[in-house]
Amino acid sequence: MKKLKSNITNMVLSLSLISVVAAALLAWVNVVTNGPIEKINAETLANGIKQVIIGDSDIPFTVSEPWEKDGFVFYQVEDSDNNLLGTAVKSTDPNAFGGNLTVLVGFNQDGVILGYEVLEHAETPGLGANAVTWFKQSTEQATKEQSKVVTLLLGAPEKAGNHNIVGMNPADGGFTVSKDGGKIDAITASTITSRAFLRAVQNAYNALYSKTADGTTSATTQN
Amino acid sequence: MKNFKIMLNGILKENPTFVLLLGMCPTLATTTSAVNGLGMGVATMFVLICSNVFISLLKNLIPDGVRIPCYIIVIASFVTILQMVMQAYVPDLYQTLGIFIPLIVVNCIILGRAEAFAAKNNVLASLCDGVGIGIGFTLALTLLGMVRELLGNGSFFGIQLLPSSMSMLVFVLAPGAFITLGLLIAIVNKIKSSKSANA
Repeated sequence: MKKLKSNITNMVLSLSLISVVAAALLAWVNVVTNGPIEKINAETLANGIKQVIIGDSDIPFTVSEPWEKDGFVFYQVEDSDNNLLGTAVKSTDPNAFGGNLTVLVGFNQDGVILGYEVLEHAETPGLGANAVTWFKQSTEQATKEQSKVVTLLLGAPEKAGNHNIVGMNPADGGFTVSKDGGKIDAITASTITSRAFLRAVQNAYNALYSKTADGTTSATTQN
Repeated sequence: MKNFKIMLNGILKENPTFVLLLGMCPTLATTTSAVNGLGMGVATMFVLICSNVFISLLKNLIPDGVRIPCYIIVIASFVTILQMVMQAYVPDLYQTLGIFIPLIVVNCIILGRAEAFAAKNNVLASLCDGVGIGIGFTLALTLLGMVRELLGNGSFFGIQLLPSSMSMLVFVLAPGAFITLGLLIAIVNKIKSSKSANA
């Protein structure tokens, strides 16, 4: 077959044809993958709720119907005797390094953080993306492991600072990065991500206990 | 034999990163660790092979006047398909690579190979070119990621080798990417020039 000439009919026809085929293909793939993607998102959320309230233990629990307020979503978790185990709050901060950072934070009745999961983020891999685990590492875990040979040659590893928020209560104050005078070490070279993360957690706490959200964030305008 | 040569050409003589200096944005942005570099390389290779094959198939259907928009549509479609399929069936991989995937659309290696090779050669040769350039890109990104991870974080593919007090954070950040890339290109050029001097 000879190459088509670049006259206007050929160009319009060819470009339109390719666009239509591409659009049809994308629509079809979208229909096929939509179901599995939604299922995975729902599973991730259900898993997240369990993780941030109960952790790895196997006690039976029920999750209440979620309710929404000012853009925060709340999930109450109860054990089989209808005792409140804690509340998971979904909270988004729009000003992380890569845009939105969505976390799910579990609080017990006193407001102590039971756990968290990062549901959605677009932070830099190797830096801000470490938020997924950084804020639940104990100091011992965070102190980097090294081989025995290296320890012999260069001494014991440096002790890491505190950046474990599990067990903290945002009401106690100091819930900011140490650079801002708080008690929590920011992720190395990712202060913006760390600030956004802590803001999201603080706002989740404020929303749960119905205080006005931090004035410097626009968390209340999220929907 | 000819096709094998085309493949080798993409890996060595026309390595997209070290020789052609194409696709610098994803090269610098995603190589913070060896695994990230490898992942980005493999994802790019997939799109490159698909787009090369399809553009080679369609080359007579596409008039010259609208070839660039047509190529972009083909490439963007493959990237979107890849993104949706990964999100649906390999969510773990998508979690790690997710934010790199849209970057592939604007990777000039893919458009460059479509224009320079696939539009002028047959399907099999274009496939081989896609594989070769893809492997070359993957190798370069993995190497760059390995060096940056080792110097910046003291680890090799996630395994901690050096104590954290010895790591130089600048290598994980953007300036380190430029420094490492520059040094690697210098080494590659040195090897190449000494080879041609011998021959």
